[in-house]
Amino acid sequence: MSDGLAGALAPRPEPRWATPARGAALPLLLLAAWQAWATTQPDITRAPSPVQVAATFVRLTASGDLPVSLLQSLGRVLGGFAAALVLGIVLGIAMGTSRTVRAAVEPIVESFRPVAPMAVLPIAILWFGTGTPAALSIVGYAAFFPLLLNTVHGVSQVDRTLLQAARTMGVPRLRILRKVVLPASLPSILLGARLALGVAWTAIIAAELAVGAKSGGGGSGGIGAMMFVFYAYSIDLNGIVACMIVIGLVALAIDRLFRGLERRLTPWRH
Amino acid sequence: MEAPGTTDPKLRLKGVAKAFTAPRTLKRTLAVTGVDLAVEAGEFICIVGPSGCGKSTVMNMIAGLDMPSSGTIEINGVPVAGPGADRGVMFQDYALFPWLTVEENIGFGLRNGTPGNGLSRGEVEARVREHVELVQLAGSETKYPHQLSGGMRQRVALARLLANGPDVLLMDEPLGALDAQTRLILQTELLRIWGETAPQAARKTAVFITHDIEEAVFLADRVVVMSRHPGRVRAVIPVDLARPRDEHIRATPRFGQLSEEIWGLIRAEAYEAIA
Repeated sequence: MSDGLAGALAPRPEPRWATPARGAALPLLLLAAWQAWATTQPDITRAPSPVQVAATFVRLTASGDLPVSLLQSLGRVLGGFAAALVLGIVLGIAMGTSRTVRAAVEPIVESFRPVAPMAVLPIAILWFGTGTPAALSIVGYAAFFPLLLNTVHGVSQVDRTLLQAARTMGVPRLRILRKVVLPASLPSILLGARLALGVAWTAIIAAELAVGAKSGGGGSGGIGAMMFVFYAYSIDLNGIVACMIVIGLVALAIDRLFRGLERRLTPWRH
Repeated sequence: MEAPGTTDPKLRLKGVAKAFTAPRTLKRTLAVTGVDLAVEAGEFICIVGPSGCGKSTVMNMIAGLDMPSSGTIEINGVPVAGPGADRGVMFQDYALFPWLTVEENIGFGLRNGTPGNGLSRGEVEARVREHVELVQLAGSETKYPHQLSGGMRQRVALARLLANGPDVLLMDEPLGALDAQTRLILQTELLRIWGETAPQAARKTAVFITHDIEEAVFLADRVVVMSRHPGRVRAVIPVDLARPRDEHIRATPRFGQLSEEIWGLIRAEAYEAIA
């Protein structure tokens, strides 16, 4: 009797594959259902299926079209992000440390912030054309706000006694900025950077799609433009879904990479 | 005849008052008023008083982090114009830099501030090393503050304070956050590090804020008792207990008398403060 009770309460040892298997079960089932549905449809370009999506992905990768487009989009994201990083951090520190600067700049920032990056696109295209400069300006615009706001927040939240401690040790002002304010707000700045990369990636896809529409596809390049070609010319949803999956995986990889970077750069928080 | 400079006490507060203005209501409240105090070099002063008596305000003004609304504060006869490494501060919550290791925290002032002026890299390293050992933290140099116990953090703060070589030590309830046993141990250790066994000329000047009367009696040469509304000096009680002091001094009748006398000065207001 007591044996039976103990047996029921004790956790049963599980094989190592048990947890991943449980996690994979539902997605696999859904994939199978999706494939089954797609085979009942007459037109394979309008009813994408897992098998066709995979085949398209392999074809696009082998031809080099997908890697080239992906690299082009990633390059734009990094370029725009880098500009936003410098501008956001510098202005953020200025706003976080000086009430005068903050009072002067905040109303401007707050009135632009609700304007979505896509809403700025028409101006960007008219000013910079449909190539990389327009894409960079949209990405930079999108990435700027999360960076700026998180930097301002981080800088203004710095523990006052840490600043006082540095002053009582005769540390000059600029050095306090570099040695106390910056590291103290680093977690906040890194959070802003991670959010900024996320929205930058979203913005570049949308911008390339839209610029693709304006330029008729090919010209502007990037994975978003590639999707536009699938949509408007080949009319093949398999290609679009393949792109969607790649975009999602890249976003996930960027996020993971950045979380790793945060852990490395702020070891005192873990 | 002595030169004029040498007759000045190490630290002098003359008619010091501090009023704060509330930012919205613009209401002025007097935090402290009429504080007169002269502290000789090598003296250990404790300031006690009920909460809200302006102890920390006085310390911040000596540190130069706050300016008096009226009156003057002088170090060696020179008015205090702002913070300086000649007056080291140990903050209530230690103010350790969470992103720096124990070793980097202790060396922060030497590497970034005026205390390191004129020292070679090697001299700085040696001085940091020496202070790590002084507070018995060898072996924990690469730990971050969040990995340390309260007592160890307190030691890091003390080592950082001393490594900068200040003339005057300003300590704001540095043992307040510790458990009772650790406090007793660190009080004795603090006296050793301050230089209790050395002649007075070799000791640092210390201003130590506490709300613990027995701690004040155990540590101080003189106890400054403050009262509140507004904060002012109620009495200055000389502690005539021989140095070096050890644990047993707490059991002497004189220790009890002094504690009782100070408690008598604070009691009424302490009750008011919790009412």
